[in-house]
Amino acid sequence: MSKYLKLFSTALVGTSLLAMTACATTGKDASGTATPSAATSTPQSSPNKKAKIRVMTITTDEARNNIMEKFIKPNIEAALPDVEVEFEPGGGGGDFVNKMKTYNASGDLPDVWYGDSTLAPPIMEAGNLLDLTPYVTKDHFIDKYSVPDALKAKDGKVYALSSGSDTYFTPVIYYHVDMFEKAGVQIPKTFDELVKAAQTLKSKGFVPISTPGKGGWSTTVFLFQNMVQIGDPQAMADLVTNKTDFNNPSIKAGLARVEQLAKSGALPEGVANLDYGPAKELFTSKKAAMYMMMTWELPDLAKDPTVDFFPFPAASDKYDSAKVAQFWGAPLNGYSVNAKSKNVEQAVKVAEFLAMADAKYFESTGAPVALKTGNPTGELQPLMKKFLDWYNAVPTKIASYSINAQDAKVAAEFATLGQNLLTGQYTSDQFVKDFDKTWKENTWFK
Amino acid sequence: MTFRKFEMNLVNYGLKVFLLVLGCSFIFPLYWMASLSFKSKSEGYDNPFGLPKVWVFTNFSKALGKYHFFTYFKNSIIYTTGTILITLLIGSMLAYCLSRMEWKYSKTVLIYISLGLIIPIEVVIIPLFMMVKQLGIKDSYFGLLLPYIAFSLSSCTLMLYAFFRSLPKELEEAACIDGCNIYESYFRIIMPVVMPALATQCVLLFMRIWNEFPLAFIIAGRDRLRPITIGLLDFFVSIGVADWGLIGAAMLISSLPTIIVYMIGNEKIENALTAGAILK
Amino acid sequence: MNRYFGNRLAVFVFAFPALLLFTAFVIYPLFPEMMISLQNHDGFKSEGFVGLANYMDVLNSQTFWQANKNTLLVVALSIFVGLPISLMLALLMDAQTPSIRRFFKAAAVFPAVLSVTVVAQMWIAFYEPTWGLFNEILRTVGLGHLAKQWLTDKDTALISVAVALFWQYIGLNALLFYTGIKSIPKTYYEAALIDGAGYVKASIKITIPLLQDVVKYVLIISTLGSMALYAHVRIMTMGGPGDASRTIVYQMYYTAFERSEFGKGTATAMLFIIECLIISFLINRFVAREKIEI
Repeated sequence: MSKYLKLFSTALVGTSLLAMTACATTGKDASGTATPSAATSTPQSSPNKKAKIRVMTITTDEARNNIMEKFIKPNIEAALPDVEVEFEPGGGGGDFVNKMKTYNASGDLPDVWYGDSTLAPPIMEAGNLLDLTPYVTKDHFIDKYSVPDALKAKDGKVYALSSGSDTYFTPVIYYHVDMFEKAGVQIPKTFDELVKAAQTLKSKGFVPISTPGKGGWSTTVFLFQNMVQIGDPQAMADLVTNKTDFNNPSIKAGLARVEQLAKSGALPEGVANLDYGPAKELFTSKKAAMYMMMTWELPDLAKDPTVDFFPFPAASDKYDSAKVAQFWGAPLNGYSVNAKSKNVEQAVKVAEFLAMADAKYFESTGAPVALKTGNPTGELQPLMKKFLDWYNAVPTKIASYSINAQDAKVAAEFATLGQNLLTGQYTSDQFVKDFDKTWKENTWFK
Repeated sequence: MTFRKFEMNLVNYGLKVFLLVLGCSFIFPLYWMASLSFKSKSEGYDNPFGLPKVWVFTNFSKALGKYHFFTYFKNSIIYTTGTILITLLIGSMLAYCLSRMEWKYSKTVLIYISLGLIIPIEVVIIPLFMMVKQLGIKDSYFGLLLPYIAFSLSSCTLMLYAFFRSLPKELEEAACIDGCNIYESYFRIIMPVVMPALATQCVLLFMRIWNEFPLAFIIAGRDRLRPITIGLLDFFVSIGVADWGLIGAAMLISSLPTIIVYMIGNEKIENALTAGAILK
Repeated sequence: MNRYFGNRLAVFVFAFPALLLFTAFVIYPLFPEMMISLQNHDGFKSEGFVGLANYMDVLNSQTFWQANKNTLLVVALSIFVGLPISLMLALLMDAQTPSIRRFFKAAAVFPAVLSVTVVAQMWIAFYEPTWGLFNEILRTVGLGHLAKQWLTDKDTALISVAVALFWQYIGLNALLFYTGIKSIPKTYYEAALIDGAGYVKASIKITIPLLQDVVKYVLIISTLGSMALYAHVRIMTMGGPGDASRTIVYQMYYTAFERSEFGKGTATAMLFIIECLIISFLINRFVAREKIEI
């Protein structure tokens, strides 16, 4: 009895103490970055109080981390003195998308975030996506873009500010030159050679190809598209413009290639649950010889002198890597602003600042940007030069299927089935059967 | 006969080892988190379960720099203790009212409140989430506190109901003669008598709320309102991602308070938990 | 005395706060839930009533049945494998020397007080296919061919998550059983031993029948706990690969929040409530002889 009494009273005292401290600290900001003045002031906004802007960005992608550390954090206070920015790490890949979708439904969207066209439709439908057109026209930010029209969505309005470097994002296959030499593997020219090279690498004890598969991410973002494209570019272009469906034999063949990669052991074990970070770690720690990833990782990977890349190899003579490539850019990619933000004006300023920081970073890596930064171009890394020489010369660039053709339901279902495909226990025929109905109910093109 | 005895000994020995191994597996997380937190990023992959070969001491400061542990911890404490205190107060009052007071609908109310045992909190997540949004309490601690309390009431009330029924009516009669009114006698005489039952509920509620995941995941979206369970998951997928050393450090920091409480109050927690099963 | 216990104002004061909260946050939400389940609703606005169309869609979807099968499998495993193991552990504890018993008791509840996030993360590390503990052990003892991609193999993903769940609570359940065993008067055993019954026989004949109350309690807690399995799934597999490890609660969350179909999400929830009612009824009807009071 007395034992219980003691336990309970201890708990009670502890609680009340904690409750007291809790009351005392509720005014403070969660991030711990609050300045003393902000922590003590009342929530009521007064004219000289800083506007609080919550920003969520991708945090597992090395380019974004670099932008944050080198271009945003050192400059933001001087550039935006009347704003207090709180950064919330958003993760990456499927986690980022799911988190944003939940935030949208629960009304917890940050003031500014890095969005893309998978995210935009549900957010727009909820009335949470701010039309930036009047703001960027008024302060002439839009004039800094070399092609302002590229920012405009289907309805002619601007919803996202990007550095314009997005159009230079395309998937490639990175590889370690020394690991290829050690295993006696040549750069594959065809898809069959790629599969064979993977088998050789596997027999030498390496992981052949790393790529993040959690939530079906790589399948969604580029793997499916490129596996179709390398066999029949036209079929892919038709799918993105809704001129064909998944019963097209070329599309099926692409799915079958994803299946083949998974089944042949070319991808890491457990790839279907592999996060963005660990997938990159597999490659950078030289456990994996190849790494299928977008070129936003190129500047970071190029720091390792043994890293080189090659475009996706051909699976038929309809495709030539010098003639066709996927491009990531879409009008809805970039920094977007919450229409229900309490400080819309300042939030737009923050979005403009962030887009400019992106531009400055990508420009410093040598990538061309659509936003005029006023800076001289930085020194070009050899790998970046190699990439630009190839990519700029490619005449046909196909828009990304995942961000230019799917509504929320289709995207969720495609990710689920795309993950399935990576397990090697799921056939492309099954995929078509399971996905066909969902695809036909797609509302994106309506 | 001797062979049989030997056989029995062997079986007994085997069972002993089995229990010990299983027991060790239960405390393995402690070792695992601690050893991880001193490993470098690459050793997290090359030597995931052994002792660190090279001791790295920077993981803690790195993790604390990026991980809002104090906020999450404070939030968890507020949700847990707030729920416990209010549930115990109003739950015990209702139980008392149902078991001791004379009113027409007490049986009906008893059945009504038992409904809460059948409805899991997960099932009403969607309407709850919309309600909390409409009530405008989503961006405050009440957004989670009120549903937590409401969903804790059933088991608390029913257990205390059984407890109150076992008490003799003479308790209040004596108080009545002394001139206490019902409120005074409840707080001065009845409450102290049921302390053991309250302590049991306290432990049961703590375990439930401290680890609650689905509702907190949806409703406490804002970073500054997140409890530890959610904050930690967010750290795994947003910051720690590929670095198991950082993940280990964040896990250890987050679990330390619970571990300390568990080590100090182990026996009491056990007693309270088991009391819940036997007390009817 | 009657005035004391029959004080109307006091009844109100004592009963009202709890009843108000309970009604507002437990019972009331069922009504909007039912209403939303009849609409085409995206979480922000309704596109109008659609009758039972959401229910038909949900009942016709393969994923819903997959999630149902998964959930019921976890429940069945927890009843027919998890509980017997806990009970056996309790009997073993009872038969062991005090020092081992003390150690086991001290360790048993630890996983249950750990955060589910930590527990799930540890099991992720156990199951990791290339450097994870299980595959490493299998390879070391020469059973490398049994190594699996535990969390991404559609045949093992769900079971792997369930094992993590069971591990977290098996010690606690064993402890509950053990306490029940301790409360059985010694005289019963003495009588049995005089009759020449061995330990195993005594356990079956005396201990288990007398444990009924505790069994009931643990049964209810773990059944409802596994019915509502969500957190472990969310952290370890996100329901994958595909929908192989989705539980009903996960399916509900996925439909509402990831597909923005709140109408179908709530319809799933309503169907789940019915299942919970049926299961509670079954337990009450067949296991608990008298009314259950927790």
